Amino acid sequence: MADAPVFQSPITNPTPAKGSLTLTDESELTKVSVRGAHIAVSFGTCEQRGDVLVVGSRPDEWTLLGPADAVAAVVSGLDLSGFASTTDITHSRLMIRLTGDDAARAMEKACGIDLSDAMTPNGAAVGASVAKVTCDVVRDDVVSDGREAVRSYRFLADRSFGQYFWDALRDCTAEF
Amino acid sequence: MLLVPCPNCGPRSSQDLTYGGESHSRPDPKTATPEEWRTYLYLRDNPSGWLVETWYCSSGCRRWFKLERHTLTGELRDPILPGSKTGVASDEATNIQGGTK
Repeated sequence: MADAPVFQSPITNPTPAKGSLTLTDESELTKVSVRGAHIAVSFGTCEQRGDVLVVGSRPDEWTLLGPADAVAAVVSGLDLSGFASTTDITHSRLMIRLTGDDAARAMEKACGIDLSDAMTPNGAAVGASVAKVTCDVVRDDVVSDGREAVRSYRFLADRSFGQYFWDALRDCTAEF
Repeated sequence: MLLVPCPNCGPRSSQDLTYGGESHSRPDPKTATPEEWRTYLYLRDNPSGWLVETWYCSSGCRRWFKLERHTLTGELRDPILPGSKTGVASDEATNIQGGTK
């Protein structure tokens, strides 16, 4: 069997974010799209299962995010009978994480979604247009030892938007 | 800008959706006359009042749905997914953005 292709990030110039916010290129993380197989994670939410983040990205579609072996373990446990399918989208999608207390305010510059805690709490997953790029936005707050959770969003978009999308998000962070 | 209530995603900016136009039932191809096809393809009711429309949630759930829009006031109501028997305009349509489903 041929070796997996070497991953090359679409973000060629990951200039650090300005101010107090942090931008991280997480495109290398394995991403697998699952369609038609039932996973007990509702549309619009995400759930951590071990090392894998299971995102309910469409009414009958889920995205698995995590290390390759952990994602493979989750996929092997799915019932893929009937019309269910899995597709490895690691190389076709980028993933950027925006972290910081002002992350929501920064996103408001480029996104029409209501980012309040009432509408998009930690664990929410929404499809949205961010800086004119259609992407999945997952709120996945970062908890470090003993500290309060820091607001964090993951963006999944088509790979071809890579550097533009990074730069657009970076511009949003300039004020904070 | 309109705030369009997607049955799956909740209220969204109309810029995040694609307008599909007036909703018409398709005539039976086996029995339809040329005039019925012409009416179906090209003629629109364009009423002053409530109108059933189709929309596509292109940035969110990527599903087509129908709703009613008042062409005078811009009010929107009763979003419904294909195959559903009733509108879901109440709690489910307005409160399920993100994790509150």
